[in-house]
This record gives sequence, structure tokens and C-alpha cells, in this order.
Amino acid sequence: MLKIKILGTGCPNCKKLEQEARKAAQNLAIEAEFEKITDFQKIMDYDVLSTPGLVINDQVVVSGRIPSQNELTSFLTNALG
Amino acid sequence: MESVLTLIYKLFFSGLSNLTSYLAAHVLLCLLPAFVIAGAMTALIPKETVTRFLGRNTPKYISYPAAAAAGFLLAICSCTVIPLFAGIHKKGAGLGPAITFLFVAPAVNILALTYTGAVIGIDLAIARLILSISFGIGVGIIMALIFRKADAEHDKRTDALFAGQAKMKKVAVIFLLVLVALLVVGTFQIDILKTVYYQLDLSIPGIHPLQEKLIDLVPFDPSRGEEGVTVQGLFLIGMLTLIGLAAWKGIEKIHDGITGWTWLSTILVGLTLIFASLGISPYPGGVSLLLTGKFFGVLILIVVLTWMIPTQLTQDETRDFLWESWRFVKQIFPLLILGVFAVGVIRELIKPEWIQAIAGENTVLGNFAGVIFGVFMYFPTLVEVPIARMFLDLGMHRGPLLAYLISDPELSLQSILITSSIIGRLKAWVYVGWVALFSTIAGLLYGAWVDGTGLGLVAVYLMLFLGLLAGLFWFIESRLKIKQA
Repeated sequence: MLKIKILGTGCPNCKKLEQEARKAAQNLAIEAEFEKITDFQKIMDYDVLSTPGLVINDQVVVSGRIPSQNELTSFLTNALG
Repeated sequence: MESVLTLIYKLFFSGLSNLTSYLAAHVLLCLLPAFVIAGAMTALIPKETVTRFLGRNTPKYISYPAAAAAGFLLAICSCTVIPLFAGIHKKGAGLGPAITFLFVAPAVNILALTYTGAVIGIDLAIARLILSISFGIGVGIIMALIFRKADAEHDKRTDALFAGQAKMKKVAVIFLLVLVALLVVGTFQIDILKTVYYQLDLSIPGIHPLQEKLIDLVPFDPSRGEEGVTVQGLFLIGMLTLIGLAAWKGIEKIHDGITGWTWLSTILVGLTLIFASLGISPYPGGVSLLLTGKFFGVLILIVVLTWMIPTQLTQDETRDFLWESWRFVKQIFPLLILGVFAVGVIRELIKPEWIQAIAGENTVLGNFAGVIFGVFMYFPTLVEVPIARMFLDLGMHRGPLLAYLISDPELSLQSILITSSIIGRLKAWVYVGWVALFSTIAGLLYGAWVDGTGLGLVAVYLMLFLGLLAGLFWFIESRLKIKQA
């Protein structure tokens, strides 16, 4: 099972990213556990310079923008190996 | 009872009249492109183009200007300001450039600058830009000197976060330049743009009576800077509503795919801009359309954009910049409309004598009053501009006005709290103190220039002030070194 974390203090783009990531996981029929990281100090541990950030299995895959469905699909399939 | 009703009626119409004059053609011509530019900057400028100059090993004379540039280019959205600030402070170039970034970011973003230019005057917008950048760098250097020791402790961390390399695509640069050209053509009041090259008289009855009716309905007082409602303004408000509706269907759901609604909303934005650039003057029995240089400039640029967006940008780029622009509109516009209405109401209640007594002249006290008001009041993004306009109309001097405009977006209780959670309470309050001082000085200098002091002399004052500070810090530093030795 994939562990997916959304980094963001609650800005609109963070919510959008979560929606999009959930959609991508659903389309691939991947089982994933979602977690939202809103505590700023914890976000800083992930080495991102802008939110929203997407973390899959403790690896930051994208930050500062909302990736397209295609990108999300390849992130997820790569993470599955 | 009746007098209360009259007062409410009067206040309501004052608010309404303020609102309509802020939605007038010349404001839209600057505000709409500014929102699109803000969106395009957020979506199309890779953060690494600037952040790679903010690493630990970058020389100071590069990292400070780069921090100012980051404030201008990257920090239009709060999603970037705080993470980037914390990142620069903890893992990158250190406290000084982080503070410079924090100072520059809210004061000179593209939206705030163009709006200041359109509502108050280009001179004030330019003063806000130059003084914010130079003082931002100044405050950064001072903070870095005061808290040198704490900064050194961060030094051992890695630099990898800032090592990313990315280049901006040429197409994206050209696209941004075209948008900026659109903004400049729409906003600047120079002869070549104002000259009427062609006049079209259309005999459409009904427009002139409608204009007369609008003037009756919403009375206005030109001597107070009010503009009233024009037929063109009414039409533009209608267009804006349509854009909003189309965008709600086409851009709100843009991540599901670009649809006909998406294109409809962009086409409507283009048409609105072209219509806003027309000069329209009704006469009995018809209406004259005045085709100015501005109209032709806007028309050509819109044609260029109509070609560029579908053919030159990738679908991902188009989606990202439209989404970001729309997000800014959604986030800022409703609050701005409420704010402008409220300002119109409040203006009826403030006596000009009060403002004139406190900040009618360019005094230290007047400038300081502007700063204090800026620190303790928190207004949503851009609302500070109509408030400044109100103060100007009520008789505030332009010096204190600038002091207020610099300090208000910098400092609010909310931003102080966030800052102190990242750099500590002591540093945050020291920062607040410096911002207050520098804003006051900025207002004084600009006010002196407005009152007729030569630009050279103002520059000399600025140099003297900075020199004095530098000397003071050099002195403190050499004393510290002796102690350590």
C-alpha cells in the first residue's frame, strides 16, 4: 500500500492537489493511505520551498504546483515499482 | 427616525458610487491583465531560476538582490512566501536575505503595484517599488548583523535544497512580456496612447437617456474624485459577471480538461479589455466611439495573445496559468469589492479636518501616524489601495501616504505571529521596529520630493541615512571584535 502525504497549510491548491491525487489513485485502482500535513514545522522537514507538496512513501515528488493527471499516474506507478 | 434613514441611504450610495468608480474602465484595464500576469508568473516561472541564487554559498552581493527578485517574481501567493522564507532562513542564505525576501514580497508584487499605479498614481507606485527594494535589502543586512551569532548556527546544514537548476522557456518569457506590454498600454497615460485617431459616430438612441438616468440614480461629486457610473461602466460590470459565470464552469474544473467554457471565458476577457479601451461618449441621439492609440495597442496585443495561447503554450502551461489567475481572482476580488464598498461608506463618516490635522503635511509625526495605522490595521490584499486613495482625497499628504502603503502590507498582527514562529519572537519584534523606522523614512523622503526637493538632494538624504546606519553597525561590529579578541 502506498503512503501519500499532502503538504500544505490549507491553501486552496493543497485541497485541489489532494482531490487530484485521490482521483489518480482511484483510476489506477491503487490502495493508498492519505495523510495531510498541515503543521508548518513538519512541512519544513521535507525540504520544499513552496506548497502544496506531494510526498509518496516519504519521497517528495512535486512541490509548488498541481501536477496533471498524467504526471500523477506516472508518480504512482513508479512508486509501486 | 427619518434622519437615520437618510443617513443610511447616503452611506449606502456613497459605498455604491465608490464601487462603480473602482470598476470603471481604466481600473479594469490594469487589474485584469495584472491578475493574468500574476497567474502566469506563478505558473510559468520555475522557482529554481531564482532560488538557486539563495543558497548558503552564494556571495552576499548576489543573494540580497536575488532575495528581492524572489519577493517580486515568486511570492505573489502566500503558499510560497512562508515556505520560501523559512527555507532561505534555515537552509539557505540565512536570516538577512530571508528578511529581504519577506519585506519585498507583499509590498511590490505585480498586483499591488499596478493597482497603486492606476488608482493613486504611477509616481507613488514607482516610489513604492524603489524604496521597498532598497529598504528591504537594508533591513535584511541590519537583521543579519544584529543576529549574527544565531545565524552561524544554521551554517552546518546542507545546501542541496537550493542546488536545483531550471531555465525558463523562451516562449514563456515572450508570453509574459506580451502580457506586461498589455498592462503598460492599458495603464500608462501618455500622449501617443491618449490621442484619438479615429472617431465613429453611431446613432443608437437610448444610450444618452440611459447615461442621464444613471447620473440621476447615482449622483457623484467630481471635486471629491468620484467618477459616477457610465454606460460603459455598466456594460463592463455585466461583462465581468459573464466572465465569472463562464470561468466557474470552465476554469474552476479545468483539471478535468479544457472545455468550450474555458475558451469562452478567455475570449470574454479579451473582449472586455478591448471594450474597456474604447473611449465612449454618448450625445443626444447617438454615441461616439473614440478609437485612441490605447485601443489599437490593446487590440493588437489581444490578437497576438489569441494566436499565442492555443498554438505556442502547451496544454499543461495553459491550464496552470489559467488556474492560477482564476485562483487569484477568486481569492482577492470578492474581498476587494467588499472593501471598496466599505471604504465608500466610511469615507462619509471621516471628517477631512481630522486627516489633515494628523497627516496633512510631510512631518515626522504625520509619517509615523501613517505607519502606526498601517501596522495595527489589517486589510486583505489590495484593499489597502482604495483606503490610501480615500486618505488622499481627504487631504493626506503623499509622503505619509507612502509610509502607510509600505507598512500596511508588511506588517499585520497575523504576519508578525507567523514570522515569530519561524525566527523567534525577539527577532520578529526587532524586525517590526526596523520596518516601522524605514517606512517612516521612506515616507519622509518621498514627501520631500513631492514638496519640491530636488531628486539629487533626496538621494543625498537617503545616502546619509544609510551611511549613518552603516557607520553605526561598523562601529558596533568593531567593538564586538575587540571584546572577542
